[in-house]
Amino acid sequence: MSDRSHDQDAAFAERVGHVLRAPERLSDDFDRALVAAIRNDQPTAAAMRRRSSMLSRDWWAAPPALSRAANLALAASIAALVAIGAWTIVPTASPTNHVVAAGSVHDTVTFVRFVFVGQARSVSLVGDFNQWGATPLPLRATGTGDAWAASVPVASGRHEYAFIVDGKHWVADPFAPRESDEFDTNSSVITVGL
Amino acid sequence: MSLRSDAELVHAAAHGDADAFGELSRRYRDRYTRFAVRMIGSRDEAEDVLQSAFIRAYRALDRCRDASRFGAWMYQIVANECRTYVVRRGRRDARLVRDESSLRAVVDRASTDRQETLEDVEYALQQIDADQREAFVMKHVEELSYDEMAEITGVSVSALKMRVKRACARLRELLEEVYDV
Repeated sequence: MSDRSHDQDAAFAERVGHVLRAPERLSDDFDRALVAAIRNDQPTAAAMRRRSSMLSRDWWAAPPALSRAANLALAASIAALVAIGAWTIVPTASPTNHVVAAGSVHDTVTFVRFVFVGQARSVSLVGDFNQWGATPLPLRATGTGDAWAASVPVASGRHEYAFIVDGKHWVADPFAPRESDEFDTNSSVITVGL
Repeated sequence: MSLRSDAELVHAAAHGDADAFGELSRRYRDRYTRFAVRMIGSRDEAEDVLQSAFIRAYRALDRCRDASRFGAWMYQIVANECRTYVVRRGRRDARLVRDESSLRAVVDRASTDRQETLEDVEYALQQIDADQREAFVMKHVEELSYDEMAEITGVSVSALKMRVKRACARLRELLEEVYDV
């Protein structure tokens, strides 16, 4: 290779490299999610947490102060399973398959990507995996501005969840099986890794 | 910020101290973020892959032979995780990455010339072989030496040089249509 050709290649690589050296940042909740996933990765700790989460649902079972907004009726959302290296639609549990996994011990954690589609100023996720909001799980707006998403570490098993839109509207996932409590508040059901 | 050394944090984390591992993550994650994003082509997916890589590292801490070199050891795991992800994802999702980038550019009306250039270069980068992409990113984005690259990838220096050379040639082909390179 001539010196001139070599210099041209080096200059090209530097120009492209310079563009690609633009900084990238992780979301602010990366560390919190990671530590939560690690704690979930420990079978004993995970079992303890599940027991406490069963107890901590009492506040949510009270009559909800949240009302569901009519203009969110067309909001669509999906929960997709992010296995390592693959996107897979999660086969959700049927409403009749109502088995609470509180007594079992799981030693695997899977990242589940929760996506809410609809106009909103903020969207967060509540579910038994974060003690129904004890640990905040905000969704981030995607590029199009009408979808919100977050990847959340979830232990294997059956879980219930819902979206909190604009900080006050409780919205169940329209594409997932639903579960109602005694006050007719719907949440959604997802089954992971079973 | 903890004043504990990497070795101390690795030791604590290996004995179940999740917060110690969180400290290691905070200490090193920025170093791997750009690499993962460039390899994966999607920020959200790169974040998932990094999470998986850190969890994999946590499970394997007892195999970190030199705890004082946790950063280099972790880099190997991140590179492996990115490589595996890219292979499994395949070409179908690569097209989705392009769609995502385009959407982002449309939404970001205030995008500068630099951002648009980054989008095109990122797209070109996703079109080349993963091995070549990895070598190019390590060399010309993360600015690692060939010896460091060889340690991380387990590939010989001569093979890495060839990958970088081929990556440059392919990128030049792809970008010629857009820019006068």
